[in-house]
Amino acid sequence: MGGIPLRVRRKVWLRQFFLQGCWNYEGMQNLGFAYSILPALRDRYEGQPEELSRALKRHLEYFNTHPAMATVILGAAIRLEESVAEGKADPRAIGTFKVGLMGSLGAIGDSYFWGALKPMASAAGAIMAFVHPLLGIVTLLALYNISHLALRFQGFAAGMGGEESAVRFLKEAGISGRTEDRKMIAAILSGAYAGVVSSQAATMFGGAWPELGVFLIAAFAVHLFTVLFRKAVSPSEVLFLLLIMGALVLWQ
Amino acid sequence: MFWRFLLAAAFGGICYLDRTAAFQVMLHRPLVVASVVGAIFGNLAAGAQVGAVLELLYIVRLPVGASVPPDDTGAAVFGGAAAATASSSIGLDPGNFAAILLLSVLCAESGKIADRFVRRMNGRIVHLTVDQLEKGDSLAVEHGLMAGVTLFGVFGMVLTLLFSGLGVSMARFLLTRFGPESHFQFAAMLPAIPLLGAASVFSCSRTDKTSPVFYLTMGCVFAAMFFFRWLV
Repeated sequence: MGGIPLRVRRKVWLRQFFLQGCWNYEGMQNLGFAYSILPALRDRYEGQPEELSRALKRHLEYFNTHPAMATVILGAAIRLEESVAEGKADPRAIGTFKVGLMGSLGAIGDSYFWGALKPMASAAGAIMAFVHPLLGIVTLLALYNISHLALRFQGFAAGMGGEESAVRFLKEAGISGRTEDRKMIAAILSGAYAGVVSSQAATMFGGAWPELGVFLIAAFAVHLFTVLFRKAVSPSEVLFLLLIMGALVLWQ
Repeated sequence: MFWRFLLAAAFGGICYLDRTAAFQVMLHRPLVVASVVGAIFGNLAAGAQVGAVLELLYIVRLPVGASVPPDDTGAAVFGGAAAATASSSIGLDPGNFAAILLLSVLCAESGKIADRFVRRMNGRIVHLTVDQLEKGDSLAVEHGLMAGVTLFGVFGMVLTLLFSGLGVSMARFLLTRFGPESHFQFAAMLPAIPLLGAASVFSCSRTDKTSPVFYLTMGCVFAAMFFFRWLV
């Protein structure tokens, strides 16, 4: 893996967990990226403070991607910095590479982590919490982090293999297929959760409402909420509405 | 009680760091936060009950690009503290439970405002870092990042203190004023809140294939529970 010693790579790997440590509206993850890559730059430009400063400024440009997928770019950027230090590549190639990849990696990461893995882990955790709270917590953390930490590590290793290895990793990791699978599991789990809740509601209103009626109302409510979410209504707004209704009831 | 708040603040600081600034290993999720805060204030199970509902509520709001989702960690701090306090005094009946969940939305939205403020402050830190770097100080990058992390952590601790204080106060002074009728009316709204959470997860995972699967599973689970209740 090039000339970067193992202890330096380890430092970079640990620092990438702080990629969003100074998240800001202008440069977003720029300072976090510069902080993460700094040990590798210090190793490359040892005794060349001006070169080090120039390299750091390159990495303080705007940067934003999904934090777990950034390791791919981080690893590849280290390899590119090596080439630049050896005079084999133009420094501008680093910026072009980062900008070229961060958008697509952000979209892939957002869709997989926020749109599929997190809902799946959360729904599983919420269901297991019915059995025991600690079981719910363990399920949530384990389901999310096994995949999360593995992808961070594999992405960094692939990035350290160079640009082509990074792109190959993205093709071969099968993230799109995994996203579809996780979304399906999340739909099943959230369906089961809604089933349990509507059953509890049927018990609660058992005297006055026929069971099937309660189920149909619950299914309609879920459908209504999903339509509202598609119209960009936030859950907070729905909760505010319920809160106002509650306050009016109290007022009366 | 002082030690409980101190412990909650330390834990909250770590959770708020996990939320944005460091690791993102899901320690900041409402199920984890509400359970632990509930345990700190005397009842883990009550906290987990609130946490399990809050866990799914805001999942549809993705932290994509510059958008900041509602602060479900803050809502969980409030909910966990309120649920644990209520369960050890007036009891956590469905009316109280619904009231706690509904009032937690105020914390979720005010936490979001605080989060935006921290991110704007971070912009200043980056400017100062770049200025220092111009002077040839490469350590400025490390100092700048540490300043950002510290800011996120300190704000997290302050918000945790504020929200847990509000939670405890609400359980002690506000919920006790509700009469039995208003308890019943709040309880009637309770099923809508977890269903909102289920819809939130469903919206995230919604594709042509998943829609029928969701409603089919919901129907099957409902029928199975109805069958078992009938059997018993």
